[in-house]
Amino acid sequence: MSVFIETNSESLFKHGEELCGDKVEIVRKGDVTTIVLADGLGSGVKANILSTLTSKIAATMLSEGADIYETVETVASTLPVCAERGLAYCTFTILRVNTDGKAHMVEFDNPQAIILRAGKEVPVEKKEITIGDKQVLESRFTMQEGDMCLAFSDGAIHAGVGQTLNFGWQRDNIVEYACRAYRKDMPARAMTKLMLSACNSLYDGRPGDDTTFVTTRIRHAQPAFIMVGPPVDPSRDKELVERFLKADGIKVVCGGTTSQIVSRVSGRDLRVKIDYKDTGVPPTGIIEGIDLVTEGVVTLAKAYEIMKIYMSEESEMEELFDIFKQDGASRLARLLLEDCTSAHFTVGRAANPAHQNPDLPIDLSLKLRMVKDIAKILRQMGKEVEVEYC
Amino acid sequence: MMTINICIGSACHLKGSYNVVSELQEMIEEYKLGDKVELTGVFCLGHCTDAVSVQIGDEIFSVNTDNVGDFFQKQVLERI
Repeated sequence: MSVFIETNSESLFKHGEELCGDKVEIVRKGDVTTIVLADGLGSGVKANILSTLTSKIAATMLSEGADIYETVETVASTLPVCAERGLAYCTFTILRVNTDGKAHMVEFDNPQAIILRAGKEVPVEKKEITIGDKQVLESRFTMQEGDMCLAFSDGAIHAGVGQTLNFGWQRDNIVEYACRAYRKDMPARAMTKLMLSACNSLYDGRPGDDTTFVTTRIRHAQPAFIMVGPPVDPSRDKELVERFLKADGIKVVCGGTTSQIVSRVSGRDLRVKIDYKDTGVPPTGIIEGIDLVTEGVVTLAKAYEIMKIYMSEESEMEELFDIFKQDGASRLARLLLEDCTSAHFTVGRAANPAHQNPDLPIDLSLKLRMVKDIAKILRQMGKEVEVEYC
Repeated sequence: MMTINICIGSACHLKGSYNVVSELQEMIEEYKLGDKVELTGVFCLGHCTDAVSVQIGDEIFSVNTDNVGDFFQKQVLERI
């Protein structure tokens, strides 16, 4: 089974705090992804230090092969003791899942994570084990394609206490909400954002505690191949286009001249329909067998903007839906953010002489930077990205 | 049927392809030429410095919002 472990996390900061006391650390090594959600005692700086240390130590040690006992003991003996409370305390949830779907979860005092399959919670058998002076819950289970694991900090179950709800948003309510929201193809990002915006509403926009969700979703791997710009050496056109056409995955061509090269080499017509879905983005073209054909630098720059908003902590739930618009930039952004799980960019560096005009805010360096910036966002999402220049 | 290709490549887009397209569409409507003239898009025509490039047959014209009326009179109406 060729799968991708998609992860996404986001936090709400306690109202008035500049730092978050929750911290998520994700390490991908080989075919295992290690996700650690830590919630430090208190809030602000102290909590931030505790959770940063915990998540960083745990994720690093586990992904390097240390066992759970060693890791938890190291964390316990490393954490600084709070002078006021005389405690060194940080709750955590650790999930390790490999590409066969084998999962190992260890939970310490965080609300219990939710495993979702086809819109229902999957009960998981948990064993209580003692590590040092800590009682932790350990479980081993298998995740299938489409399954999600939602781990969250106690800020979620405290959402709305004494404000909109008497007892907060209890775990049962959270499970019900997540089950109803679940869709087979729902990206991890959408689930995280949805759960957090529900918490934020319950808190009436002023969270009483740091609140974090981290969603892990097992999905089918889907590579994308993106051709941007004509190669410097035109004699390579044929070879590069032929390789591109043979590639197995989503295919995208960005750039007017590049599209013409693909059309010429493949012998397939390039048609451009004048139907502006957005007056700021040039219409897309059509080449048989290519999933998306767009103009180059303007579309890339716009797609990057959309991607930035999609990933931003500040953006509203509704802004995530911008990727469902039909203009070239939105379609490109959606394809990169949600449809593909890895990306290969073939970037031609031939400069269009007409773009060297000082009146035009576009040139080769802008295009190259856009590709780099887009690649950076994709890597942050845990996607493998290759950028090949030619 | 006359086909007018309007370049929507990067340079032409920034120089206002959209405006040229919508003005041409309005004029085609106004003169009721919908069944005689077809507007289509095209990627880079290689005349980026003269954006917006508009192609009729083998000829390429440099059109902008100031001369689009003139272009329509001379190149479109007179050829039909």
